[in-house]
Amino acid sequence: MLNENKEVMLEVKNIFKNFGDLEVLKGVSTEVDKGEVISIIGASGSGKSTLLRCMNLLEEPTFGEVWIEGKLMTPVDPYLHYDVIKASNTYKKLIAGGMDELDAIMKIKQEDLLQEKSGKEGSEYKSLMDKIYKENHIDTNLGRRKMSMVFQQFNLFNNLTVLENIMLAPVETAKYNKVKDLNGEKAKIREQAFTLLKRIGLEDKADVYPSKLSGGQKQRIAIVRSLAMNPDVMLFDEPTSALDPEMIGEVLDLMKELAQAGMTMVIVTHEMGFAKEVSDRVLFVDEGYIKEEGTPEEVFDHPKDPRLQDFLSKVL
Amino acid sequence: MGVYLKGFLIACRGIPATVAVSLIAIVIGAAFGLLLALCSQTKSKVLQVLSKVYIDIVRGTPMLVQALIMAYGIPWLLQSWGVGFKWDNFGGMVVPAVIVCGFNSAAYMSEVIRSGIQAIDKGQMEAARSLGMSHGMAMRLVIIPQAVRIILPAFANEFVTLIKETSVLGYVGVVEILRRGQLWNSSSFETFPAYIGVALAYMILTIPLSKAINGYERKMARKESAA
Repeated sequence: MLNENKEVMLEVKNIFKNFGDLEVLKGVSTEVDKGEVISIIGASGSGKSTLLRCMNLLEEPTFGEVWIEGKLMTPVDPYLHYDVIKASNTYKKLIAGGMDELDAIMKIKQEDLLQEKSGKEGSEYKSLMDKIYKENHIDTNLGRRKMSMVFQQFNLFNNLTVLENIMLAPVETAKYNKVKDLNGEKAKIREQAFTLLKRIGLEDKADVYPSKLSGGQKQRIAIVRSLAMNPDVMLFDEPTSALDPEMIGEVLDLMKELAQAGMTMVIVTHEMGFAKEVSDRVLFVDEGYIKEEGTPEEVFDHPKDPRLQDFLSKVL
Repeated sequence: MGVYLKGFLIACRGIPATVAVSLIAIVIGAAFGLLLALCSQTKSKVLQVLSKVYIDIVRGTPMLVQALIMAYGIPWLLQSWGVGFKWDNFGGMVVPAVIVCGFNSAAYMSEVIRSGIQAIDKGQMEAARSLGMSHGMAMRLVIIPQAVRIILPAFANEFVTLIKETSVLGYVGVVEILRRGQLWNSSSFETFPAYIGVALAYMILTIPLSKAINGYERKMARKESAA
């Protein structure tokens, strides 16, 4: 369970991710505290984007847990809780057969003996599982509404205008929540959308389709679209990598503004200067592990890991 | 010349039947085709296999054979089981005709729809999901509206094909364009004018439609290069 005092917003525990035979992440754990800005750096193919995409389950981790604000987004694993194992019929049978308690638990864990789907595990087991599920689990879609993502390729919805892009998800969320005064809510969302557009100086583009915008404009609107969900955490997946050089500045400026306003951010980036300037903590991902982490000064000025030293010598 | 005009006008009397069957069939085809396309893309292996088997069967057999099975084979089978089934009690022979055309075109439509959906950039779905929309919401609000624009020409082409294919329905008792011509031929023996009239009646349906599709495609191509 999370330690509530630290105000951990997002936590990944022991994340493994395989694509077929390829092991991309080999056991990554980290926490994101409220208001913290974390940059993830590393070479192409190091697994840094995959780690970010595992955080909101766009990639389902092969193994491991993702917690958002104390709620588990990845499936509840009965093997994690010994009291669940102990409530199972499988365990009771092993004990009745004269097996030692710890041996029985280890045997069940190692040989994957729980059979929850076939309904053989008994009512006590099921009510415990239900309880754990109710207390700890959050639906993927609900979890994702707490943390929005900004993509390298912007991914604005091509069939919708700028304003519709921003309003779509908040309006659908209001519908989902069965808000009573839907029209009033829509008006509020619309107003918020315009406030956000004004903030980035693009309110005149409200009725324009994405194909008419520059890359920098698209990305700033994508950021604003994420903001319209009032997220607690924002994930950025190489937000400036697809931009022409002269447009990178406007996007980074907007991100700096967000960071200064106290937004919790996790940023996968190749912009080392930017990472150094805005981050509270930098993670260096390499070969599927977090090889080194620390303050920007520690990571950039006094790197310890030889792979990090090598990487920095190439990019700085 | 008058005999040719007469042949054409008689064939034209079959147009309402041909158009009605084609229209209802394309609606069934689009709806069921969409369902098949979505099935073929789900994670469920069972649904994937079912939709694939269905598409293989339908595409691997002529529509005339399917129509004969539906119109005559199935009533025969039901009657041999002691069920007194007649299409006439369920709205006449046009009913099995519409069913066969609709479910036949669904198999072709599903491929068109599937390729349309696949043509949409993966990032569109990811962006929708990352904003907390369910897969179904993302399909309905983002993916399918974009896919529709892409598949519209292929969809209309399928409609043109369907109009021509309904000509086999004369064999199962639907009096459409071709059947009108055949009936007139067998009473008047004006064989050449009869079938020329039939051909012309199909052409006044299909050629304007094809032209409209070409126009739409050119317009889209211009729009895309401008964007």
